[in-house]
Amino acid sequence: MEREIILKAQNVSKHFGGLAAVNEVSMDIFRGEILGLIGPNGAGKTTFVNVITGMLPITGGRVFFKDRDITGWPAYKIGRTGIARTFQIVKPFRGMTVRENVAVGAMFGHNGHKHSTKTALKKADEVLDFVGMGHLKERHADELTLPYLKRLELAKALAMEPELLFLDEVMAGLNPKEIESAMELVKRVNQQGITILVIEHVMKAIAGITDRVFVLNFGAELAQGTPEEVLNHPQVIKAYLGEKFVERQKRKQTMRDA
Amino acid sequence: MKILGLEKFFSGRKGWLWGLFGLFMLALAVLPLFASGFWLRTLTLIFLLAAMAEGWNYIGGYTGYAAFGNVAFFGIGAYGTALAMLRLHFSFFPALLVGVAAAMLFAIVIGLPVLRLKGHYFAIATVALATAVGEVADYWTDFTGGSAGLTLPFFDPIEYSGQFFYYISFLLVIFGLWLTYFVMKGKMGYSWVAVREDEDAAKMMGINTTWAKVSAFALSALMAGAAGAIYGYWNTFVLPEEVFKIDYTLQMILSTVLGGPGTILGPFIGAFLYYILITLLVFFFHVGAFHETILGVIIILVMVFTPQGLMDFLSGKKKLTLSSLLENIRTHKV
Repeated sequence: MEREIILKAQNVSKHFGGLAAVNEVSMDIFRGEILGLIGPNGAGKTTFVNVITGMLPITGGRVFFKDRDITGWPAYKIGRTGIARTFQIVKPFRGMTVRENVAVGAMFGHNGHKHSTKTALKKADEVLDFVGMGHLKERHADELTLPYLKRLELAKALAMEPELLFLDEVMAGLNPKEIESAMELVKRVNQQGITILVIEHVMKAIAGITDRVFVLNFGAELAQGTPEEVLNHPQVIKAYLGEKFVERQKRKQTMRDA
Repeated sequence: MKILGLEKFFSGRKGWLWGLFGLFMLALAVLPLFASGFWLRTLTLIFLLAAMAEGWNYIGGYTGYAAFGNVAFFGIGAYGTALAMLRLHFSFFPALLVGVAAAMLFAIVIGLPVLRLKGHYFAIATVALATAVGEVADYWTDFTGGSAGLTLPFFDPIEYSGQFFYYISFLLVIFGLWLTYFVMKGKMGYSWVAVREDEDAAKMMGINTTWAKVSAFALSALMAGAAGAIYGYWNTFVLPEEVFKIDYTLQMILSTVLGGPGTILGPFIGAFLYYILITLLVFFFHVGAFHETILGVIIILVMVFTPQGLMDFLSGKKKLTLSSLLENIRTHKV
């Protein structure tokens, strides 16, 4: 069966002066999947998402969302068209309550034109219950701890009722138990029919929730495939852990074989 | 709702404050029946200041852009009204609309490029613009009358002039309070606060941040422009160095900061506080410009100890104690 491509990035590049942070990356995201985007620090993962979502101007290439060319669209228009994202460094609206934070997403997001402030606040309540923050509705965003701030990022994005969601390291800085429940949550979001791209350093999470993984290194594609394929790919291991580690692994392997 | 900064203010526990506020407004409404010309003049000045502060609160308080050139809107409002009355022979109210429209148009045209700047750069650009507009009014003699200014007709009948300007300024203040409330409970209000708290996040969530900022700037021009229009007609003449005085910008900012930026009643209360403060200072330290030094010190103390203005304490969000004052220093890292 031919799968529908929800987002198509064609030779996307982003240069900062002479530095190519993202270089001719092409990526297809299929509707309904959870795609992992991994790579060592500085590989250009966040920059890639920033370019796709219009936070940074694109240097080269084209981006299609549901076959529509959205290259160069301003960020707010991309947000309204059905793409939402979270930020690695959380960006709560500190002067607002948790509920108001989330309501902003409903008010201006994908179906924003249909929402009044009243229905948006109601939507915010639903979303907060869904992500398990119902009891914190009336708290101010600056009173939250990091796990909840990460979750608030997700709630704000979900309130936008997106079709495609970029999650930028929503699990970084969480403890194993919190990671477990965050993984659970991401899966539940996906089950609602939202396509997800996760940028993550937590390998357990990548292996546990993604259908497919895309590896960036030095701003270019290194590999893509199923999680097992990619995580055992020698090039990927080398990029993450270095040449020596790979050699040692090989030596161990040959010793074991002998 | 935190955005309005009013929930506690209006709730039962602080109901007596609400009642007090109602009584205060009622007293202001009937005051001209009893009071002398001096009090009417003083209060008219406070009302005009409050109206400008309410306007500044939109861009500076809610949207978080430190605009230091709002006097330009005041001046354009005054000149627009004067020119409409003199050249087009409009009566005052249509002329006021011309002045306000001119100020808002200026805010939009200027705001589109200037609101791309952030922080200090925005502040400096707005100061420069306000100064430049003042210079234009000063030198474009054919159109603005130059440094000789423009002379307006007197209000007729003159014996009711005091009352007329008192009430029209009072109405402008009430309109400003209503406008703040109306905007802040709607989507536009949310977009302003979102821009203030995090512009990138606001953008990504579908907020057209350019429009949010320009709308806040334009509405702040509406208030300052209307205040300028009333002031010009009241004064019966407009002079460049008078209506483009940077002091007015400082006064509206100080009023807002004293009362509480980003709250509905803050700028209104702040305007009274500012006026009382300045009067006391002039009264006690009438030697030269010394009172301005004291005022400066007080402003620094306010900024350090109550950066959210006095609304924090009035609304019951915080108790006025030494520890809460010291806590402010820590949280705002001053």
